[in-house]
Amino acid sequence: MNESEFSPKFAPFIGMGGIAAAMIFGCMGAAYGTAKSGIGIAGVGTFRPDLIMKCLIPVVMSGIIAVYSLVISVLIAQDLAPPGQGSNYSLFNGFMHLACGLSVGLTGLAAGYCIGIVGDKGVRSYMLQSRVFVGMVLILIFGEVLGLYGLIVALILNTKSKG
Amino acid sequence: MATRRIVSQEKTLLEKDDSIGSSPAANEKSSIAPAVPTSVIMKLLAFTLGMIVIPIGSYFVTVDTVFKGNSTYAGALAAIMANVVLIGYIFVAMAEDQSEQQQGGGGAPSSTEGKKDR
Repeated sequence: MNESEFSPKFAPFIGMGGIAAAMIFGCMGAAYGTAKSGIGIAGVGTFRPDLIMKCLIPVVMSGIIAVYSLVISVLIAQDLAPPGQGSNYSLFNGFMHLACGLSVGLTGLAAGYCIGIVGDKGVRSYMLQSRVFVGMVLILIFGEVLGLYGLIVALILNTKSKG
Repeated sequence: MATRRIVSQEKTLLEKDDSIGSSPAANEKSSIAPAVPTSVIMKLLAFTLGMIVIPIGSYFVTVDTVFKGNSTYAGALAAIMANVVLIGYIFVAMAEDQSEQQQGGGGAPSSTEGKKDR
């Protein structure tokens, strides 16, 4: 392992911190979104069982948040290699992978929190007034787009490691 | 001899428990059909499987074949495929609701259904 000023020994530690941050924070957001909207669906399903199919949309969206984190984790993990003669993992790559993981993870946490609250209150309102549905889906999409922005930033950051 | 037991028509002890209340007898099939129709369950299972398999599967299929190792485009494609599954789910859920309205509301009383959907 050729250690230099630009690729110190601890550089892979920071990059793996990025992988862990992506999965941990993203799944925290997805779990909160699933659980909170699941509470709302359980409340709606006892009164209007025919609405359950449409009320499951926030749960599917929470799943997408976790898929974003998974994609970024796989992308970062493919750039990592055990230290050897050929591989040279610079500190720049390590911090960049940490930025990738934090951006997709924490925006996923924000999006999951938004989807959870909107999903809970939205499906309960939809049980009483069916016109809420379009507004609820739009708000859910705008909440989920927050996670998509983090994914886009992480994908753009990840291209810089090749150059 | 006012009352006389007609032994030939009387049920024996073993025949008496043919069906007690809603529980069927041992030799009959009990109703295990789910309250949710099978088509809905199959749709939900299909979307669950699709949500698990399609995004990450499309990444690993296309990263070396279509995109020649450029993992950024493959990652973007995986995110797009996840959203495609979501849009498909929304369309299926809308179609489900409209078909139930045409049948007069599955499960829910149709009078309240018409009032709510006005």
